[in-house]
Amino acid sequence: MGCGSSRLDRTSGRLNGLNNSENASAHDAKNLRVKLVLLGDSGVGKSCIVLRFVRGQFDPTSKVTVGASFLSQTIALQDSTTVKFEIWDTAGQERYAALAPLYYRGAGVAVIVYDITSPESFTKAQYWVKELQKHGSPDIVMALVGNKADLHEKREVPAQDGIDYAEKNGMFFIETSAKTADNINELFEEIAKRLPRPSQVQPSQPAS
Amino acid sequence: MEANQSVTFYDFLDRMRNPASLDLVRSIKSFIVSFSFYPANPENDGKKVQEFFLTMETAIRDHPLWAGATDEEIDSAMEGLEKYVMTKLFSRTFASLPEDVKFDREISEKICLLQAFLRPEHLDIPVALQNETSWLLAEKELQKINAFKAPREKLLCIINCCKVINNLLLNASMSGNHVPGGADDFLPVIIYVTIKANPPQLHSNLKFIQLYRRQAKLISEAAYYLTNVVSAKSFIVDLNAKSLSIEEIEFEESMQAARLANKATLVENPPTTFNTEVFRTDPGPSKFLDEKETKLKGGSKYPYMDAEAGELTVGDVEKLLSLYKDVVTRYTTLCSKVRHLSISKTDCPATSEGTSSLATELEETCLDANGKKE
Ligand SMILES: Nc1nc2c(ncn2[C@@H]2O[C@H](COP(=O)(O)OP(=O)(O)O)[C@@H](O)[C@H]2O)c(=O)[nH]1
Ligand SMILES: [Mg+2]
Repeated sequence: MGCGSSRLDRTSGRLNGLNNSENASAHDAKNLRVKLVLLGDSGVGKSCIVLRFVRGQFDPTSKVTVGASFLSQTIALQDSTTVKFEIWDTAGQERYAALAPLYYRGAGVAVIVYDITSPESFTKAQYWVKELQKHGSPDIVMALVGNKADLHEKREVPAQDGIDYAEKNGMFFIETSAKTADNINELFEEIAKRLPRPSQVQPSQPAS
Repeated sequence: MEANQSVTFYDFLDRMRNPASLDLVRSIKSFIVSFSFYPANPENDGKKVQEFFLTMETAIRDHPLWAGATDEEIDSAMEGLEKYVMTKLFSRTFASLPEDVKFDREISEKICLLQAFLRPEHLDIPVALQNETSWLLAEKELQKINAFKAPREKLLCIINCCKVINNLLLNASMSGNHVPGGADDFLPVIIYVTIKANPPQLHSNLKFIQLYRRQAKLISEAAYYLTNVVSAKSFIVDLNAKSLSIEEIEFEESMQAARLANKATLVENPPTTFNTEVFRTDPGPSKFLDEKETKLKGGSKYPYMDAEAGELTVGDVEKLLSLYKDVVTRYTTLCSKVRHLSISKTDCPATSEGTSSLATELEETCLDANGKKE
């Protein structure tokens, strides 16, 4: 079963991605906009994590489900800045793996997800980390996410393996459950904190 | 918002005719003219155009005519500017290199072969997403792409196509018989639709949008959709048996059969078709003429001078178009050089589109400005 929401109001018309004034406010000091790309095997829970984050919902039994491939969500931080995440889903099927660079190009954040009940998905996550280290932009913020943390009894990837791997690769690690909402907001808040602050971001337009 | 777009453009032209905007008009004009001095170089040209847009945005923001304008109004002006500049520079910047023309043709030919046998199952598209009506709508949107010259409008074709697909995915999940897969669903469908549509000059259109759409607008959802179609193109270019759920032998046989079927069509219409050339590796700009055509060409740069309408086939359109562009580019260059000599006010023939009179008027305004300067 899928995850999702029975509230369709936000996707039936437009996603909250495109609006006219967006570029005007995109990069001022208080309001960051960042492209976040999701990578990981099909089935690890990428869509569910995003839906949980964007809509606060997870309903594997609902028949009415929404799986958008582009979603955006703005969060407010304590220092009264806001971060708008523009979340790019990528196709997880193997035959599209070679296309990934087209998606992570220009991304400020990569969230690499695996399923703690699936060692193969953990191996795949490591593949993505290596690929991004080689070909991603050097200042990309990477997060390694072990999802489905609610399935303790089926766990096959020890948390320590994720911690160790992330530490070795200088990336942020967290275990989440889209089902129980555990650590979902924490994931995005932590990413937001790690983003280069506006002072470090080059000015968006050279004034002439 | 879309309905207002042509109003916006006329408003832009209107303001440009205001004497107060003479300085802006002069910058625009000299920028456009500067383009005819050098051979096409897409990467460079793209950078130059983007820099120009940014410079002009600042100039417009600081301009008395836009005093107190909202961000939306500035944005409208910039949309008008993009459309004006890129329509003027179109023949110079779109599919301007022989290798781009060649790549377009190769992609289109490969798609032709794939169309002969590719089924949704080959991309594992779930039955719930197999909706001919939606697909057709999406294809139509993509196929419109050459009806427009402005990068914004070309991009809109892509966005519209993707929105149709999004709706299809949404409906499928609402009907309850499909678990939504996000990009896992979206990408295969966009690939399949792209193959069914075989949009004209796919590579050149995508490249044109990427280079010349205002960078501030190539973000968010629009950028996501564009990336998906770029992905689809890339997937198609590299596509082989391993890319599909199909036996290698079946794939090869189907491709071969499609090639033969294509050849058969060629034999029926031999004279000036370029289809056979696709899988050759080396045709340079003029090598893709076959013998018959070379004979027609008779050493001339413009091989169709002696051709009769009845001899031409659809396959000639591409070549004719590129020759046409070549002629127009030369003529435009010649015009601007002549203008710079201040010999006469002879105007370049504008296109016969609806905007031409206004555009011509703008050109004349500029012409005056140029004249005074020299
Ligand atoms: N138990 C559990 N199941 C999950 C969780 N996240 C996702 N799932 C299930 O895993 C399956 C795949 O999720 P999905 O988000 O579509 O994965 P994606 O292919 O990576 O986007 C669905 O059946 C979800 O219900 C989770 O945190 N816990
Ligand atoms: Mg998904």
